[in-house]
Amino acid sequence: MANYAMVLNYKNCINCKACEVACKEENGILLGAEKHRIWVGSMNPEGEWPFLSIASATFLPSQCQQCENAPCQDVCPTQATYYDKNGVVQVDSEKCILCSYCMVACPYDARYVDDRTMTIDKCTFCSDTRLARGETTTACQATCPTKVRTFGDLDDPNSEVSQILRTKEHFTLKPHIGTKPKLFYII
Amino acid sequence: MLNKILPHKAITIKALLDFKKTPFNILMFSVTVGLLAMFLIGAINYFIHGHHAYGVSREHPWGLLIAMYIFFVVSSTGLCIISSLGHVFKFKSFEFIGKRAIFGAIITIISGFAVIGLEIGHPLRMAIYNTISPGITSAIWGMGVLYSIYLGLIVMEFILLSRDDHKWAKFFGLGGLLVGIAAHSNLGAVFGFLVGRPLANGVFYPIYFILSAMITGCYLLFLMYGYKYRMNFDDDKEIFLKHLARLLGLLLAIMLFFEFWRFLTLIYGDVPERAETALHILKSPNFLIGELLLGIVIPFVIILYSKAEAIHKIIWASLGGMIGIFFMRYDLIKDTLMYPMQTLKKVEYQLAPTLINYSPTWTEWFIALGAIGITLAMYYIGENFFFLDPKENDDYFDHYQDIK
Repeated sequence: MANYAMVLNYKNCINCKACEVACKEENGILLGAEKHRIWVGSMNPEGEWPFLSIASATFLPSQCQQCENAPCQDVCPTQATYYDKNGVVQVDSEKCILCSYCMVACPYDARYVDDRTMTIDKCTFCSDTRLARGETTTACQATCPTKVRTFGDLDDPNSEVSQILRTKEHFTLKPHIGTKPKLFYII
Repeated sequence: MLNKILPHKAITIKALLDFKKTPFNILMFSVTVGLLAMFLIGAINYFIHGHHAYGVSREHPWGLLIAMYIFFVVSSTGLCIISSLGHVFKFKSFEFIGKRAIFGAIITIISGFAVIGLEIGHPLRMAIYNTISPGITSAIWGMGVLYSIYLGLIVMEFILLSRDDHKWAKFFGLGGLLVGIAAHSNLGAVFGFLVGRPLANGVFYPIYFILSAMITGCYLLFLMYGYKYRMNFDDDKEIFLKHLARLLGLLLAIMLFFEFWRFLTLIYGDVPERAETALHILKSPNFLIGELLLGIVIPFVIILYSKAEAIHKIIWASLGGMIGIFFMRYDLIKDTLMYPMQTLKKVEYQLAPTLINYSPTWTEWFIALGAIGITLAMYYIGENFFFLDPKENDDYFDHYQDIK
């Protein structure tokens, strides 16, 4: 029993997209631009030459926010979306009817249709792959050359994520809608 | 045996096809058969290619078929509500429409189920897990359960009305009305509960859906009676249609009021996501020509200037009104999903996402429009198979002898 979360030092991201590749490879995600569990968002520099704002040209790696109060779980008519024992939002593909309501309800566009099962798929923090094998890191974290991601247990005060969150200012995405994301971005 | 349970006329398939060959009848026959063929072709293509045959995407997961499903269930609820004015609330001039309106409610919801059956990825799994693993916080679950009960109740109501058992018909009519309103406002809540989408989130849709359903019910009744009597009405029908026109005028006025305050609230304060999308909608031809002009303004102006007397014009305007209602349903989906949930650029050498575009594929159009053929075909069969008018108005009066 854990309460998994992830901290992202997003300013370290160099947009190499190794995390996207590692995720696809580790979890067997289908090819295609639409089929992805994680992504790196990039912002174009604002302003006009020569007064371009370098500060605005940052990268924001993201994925399912593993919300504590997940809208996708609320709206699922068959309880196919559920919280597992580690607080990770999962999809039971046996129960998913592909009504796509969770895709509409997710404020982070973190879900897509897996064409093999014709059900909804999303980031699981590598629960079925790496964590199931006893490893303690996710594929995206392990592969990152600039150590953007840190993954761990929020309920363990000695875990690296807990220590970072205690010592560094951080924010979450769209906090005003009350989803309580467990992806924290360090400022 | 069936006649004891549900009184019906003795009619053969040959007799059904042996209609009077007037140009109008031939046109209606061709349109119905053409639409049914479209539905079949669309459905076959869906069974071959699955969801890939549709224009939906990760960013825009719902499309025309969801809109069309809503179009049909709105029609059904609307007909149920308006018919209840007669046999539940005892408005005298509405009393004779009961059976025809309820039959309309049954066939429109069946058409809606036919469409949603081709949109939901696993409809059989839905029937199983909606029952054994209910997600009671889901508005879709609530809607599905309530609409199933609703269909059962209005079928019972139709059977009892056909048997002239008005005491029990009233009971089931009231039940159908209440469950129908609950189901339909739940459908509004499917959108109202979307916390991440400020354009849809809130109390507006669950309430608006009921109003919109009543307007749809009025339009459909105008069309059904205009078609049935080929624009020649006796006194009873004329009084009913004039009363219906007054009711429609009132409902349209309320709708204009709703829309005015909705958009003012959406735009006021320039709230991010909400105001930008609302302004985009306000400038779109779908809204201006479809929803506003055809769906509300033209019928309203005709009713206003003719003091609800110009029945023929209102019937023609109802045809445009239904097109307007279609745009309302289509825009509901398109507008709700228009603003991207992820606004950063994810793929290099592309622009950052702006408002999301969605175009239905031909398969979606074929299934969506083809489903109207299902309604038309069932209506024609029902007209010739059941007693849709009260005894005294039915040409087939002699066959009532078997009842009771």
